[in-house]
Amino acid sequence: MTDGGSMFDGLDISILAPALLAGVIVLTTHIPLGREVLRRGIIFIDLAIAQIAGLGVIVAFQFGWDMHGVEAQVAAVTSALLGAWLLHGIEKKAGVHLEALIGISFVLAATASLLLLANNPHGGEHLKELLVGQILWVDWSQILYAAMISLIVVITWFKYRNKIGNIGFYILFAVSITSSVQLIGVYLVFTSLIVPALAASRYSEKPALMLAFIVGVCGYSSGLMVSAFFDLPSGAVIVWCLAISALLVPVLLSKLFVASAKER
Amino acid sequence: MHINPGMRRGFLLTVSLCACLLHSVSAQATLNVFACEPEWAALAKTIGGDRLTVYSATTAMQDPHHIQARPGLIAKARRADLLVCSGAELEVGWLPLLLRKSGNADVRPGQPGNFAAADYVKKYGVPEKLDRRLGDVHAEGNPHIHTSPENILMVAAALHQRITELDPDNTGYYRANYAVFEKNWRQSMQQWQQQAASLRGANIVTHHTYWTYLNEWAGMNVLATLEPVPGVSPSSSHLARLKKQLSQQDIKMIIHVAYVSDRPSQWLAEQTGAPVIALPATVDFQGGQTLSQWFDDVMQRLVGDL
Repeated sequence: MTDGGSMFDGLDISILAPALLAGVIVLTTHIPLGREVLRRGIIFIDLAIAQIAGLGVIVAFQFGWDMHGVEAQVAAVTSALLGAWLLHGIEKKAGVHLEALIGISFVLAATASLLLLANNPHGGEHLKELLVGQILWVDWSQILYAAMISLIVVITWFKYRNKIGNIGFYILFAVSITSSVQLIGVYLVFTSLIVPALAASRYSEKPALMLAFIVGVCGYSSGLMVSAFFDLPSGAVIVWCLAISALLVPVLLSKLFVASAKER
Repeated sequence: MHINPGMRRGFLLTVSLCACLLHSVSAQATLNVFACEPEWAALAKTIGGDRLTVYSATTAMQDPHHIQARPGLIAKARRADLLVCSGAELEVGWLPLLLRKSGNADVRPGQPGNFAAADYVKKYGVPEKLDRRLGDVHAEGNPHIHTSPENILMVAAALHQRITELDPDNTGYYRANYAVFEKNWRQSMQQWQQQAASLRGANIVTHHTYWTYLNEWAGMNVLATLEPVPGVSPSSSHLARLKKQLSQQDIKMIIHVAYVSDRPSQWLAEQTGAPVIALPATVDFQGGQTLSQWFDDVMQRLVGDL
């Protein structure tokens, strides 16, 4: 890739730290929400919601709104909420075909965006910007915004989970997905939601949350290091490292646990 | 702590060795160049030789419109003394983000450390009025300026000047390298012009408006592009129109850049019988190719099939 310089160039804390922080912020909401998603069996709902949020922005764009800034955010969150309401309605009625219907909503929203943007590559670029955040590009204002949303979502979830009902879950979900997708992109959002929660699915609430969080942080930090070391796109590497740490971390931890129990 | 004379001597020796090393490093301090595309990396390397440390953010097999964020990219941008890019909004999808992220004030637009090649040539395809419906048109014109050898010459002159401004201590060295490059390039251009004579007036179809500058330079006649507007995949109605429009024409060849899928080109080839030619988008800088080797290759592929 270069002459001179070293392969350790990317291994710079000031480059990797904001990305890791963004990852941790996303994990705090996505692990509890991911457990709920697994429990309900609505695995692909995040893809559907993200796609619907993107569709909302494109519709707003067709009406001549500026795609950046507050207006785009309002359009994204509003349509994500509408999508959440729709999916909530579907969940009540669909029964065994729930997952199929979620998949169909995803494909319809995705192709509706394609149709609206036919002949408009600029719009396509904007859509991509909105749908596929790249974790290394995050800046501090984005991190702050995401942290605030995460905080609100986490507090609401753990304090009022039993009071907000079914629709409350969908609202929280829509809000946090819309924010995290713009931060780290669809692939990482899906992985952060499902993989750590799945790795810890055998355990009860508290140890499961802990284990999932350890898996998540291990995945993000090792992924960032590997991507810095081999100069590879960070998002894709983190997805793989999350999957690998979901396989390894529970095994290592249980070994450690057994060993320390024996010593006692 | 007791320090014996031997230890002290060893310590002094180490310090002076370190000082020597530091000194030699600073004497050979090189300018860090961050090139957005391989062609500019190759050009900077030709002019700057071992006084420059050159990094190319993309390879010849990548579409420079879009790239994925890698940690090394930000580190390189942060340390760059000179950024050499095509400009004309080619890198608009990622370079502003990268520059903001790198926080390197020296290479921001408008600074001496920011060199946009497209500023130094006459650009084609500058829209008279900006209409987003016309596709991936760049407000500043077609950014793929490196496909004309004359443009390379103009950019080389400007880049030589810029490098000298940033590193006046090595002025003589840069001037000598530049003079050699200019002489060789002009010689090669004569040969390419002879080759291009057989291309003059040839009817061609291109996939994207990537080779506009080459087409103009060689006097080729672009009948149509497979993309209905730049950056948009061919639609069925556009292809049907193309087929009808081109059925009466004698097409010499269908050209596409090696990094895009050749399926639309192959489809048209089947309809028209014209050969498909994949041209390498730019220099294989990472593989050690030079600009003139790349252009030799392009011309051979173009002429070989006529």
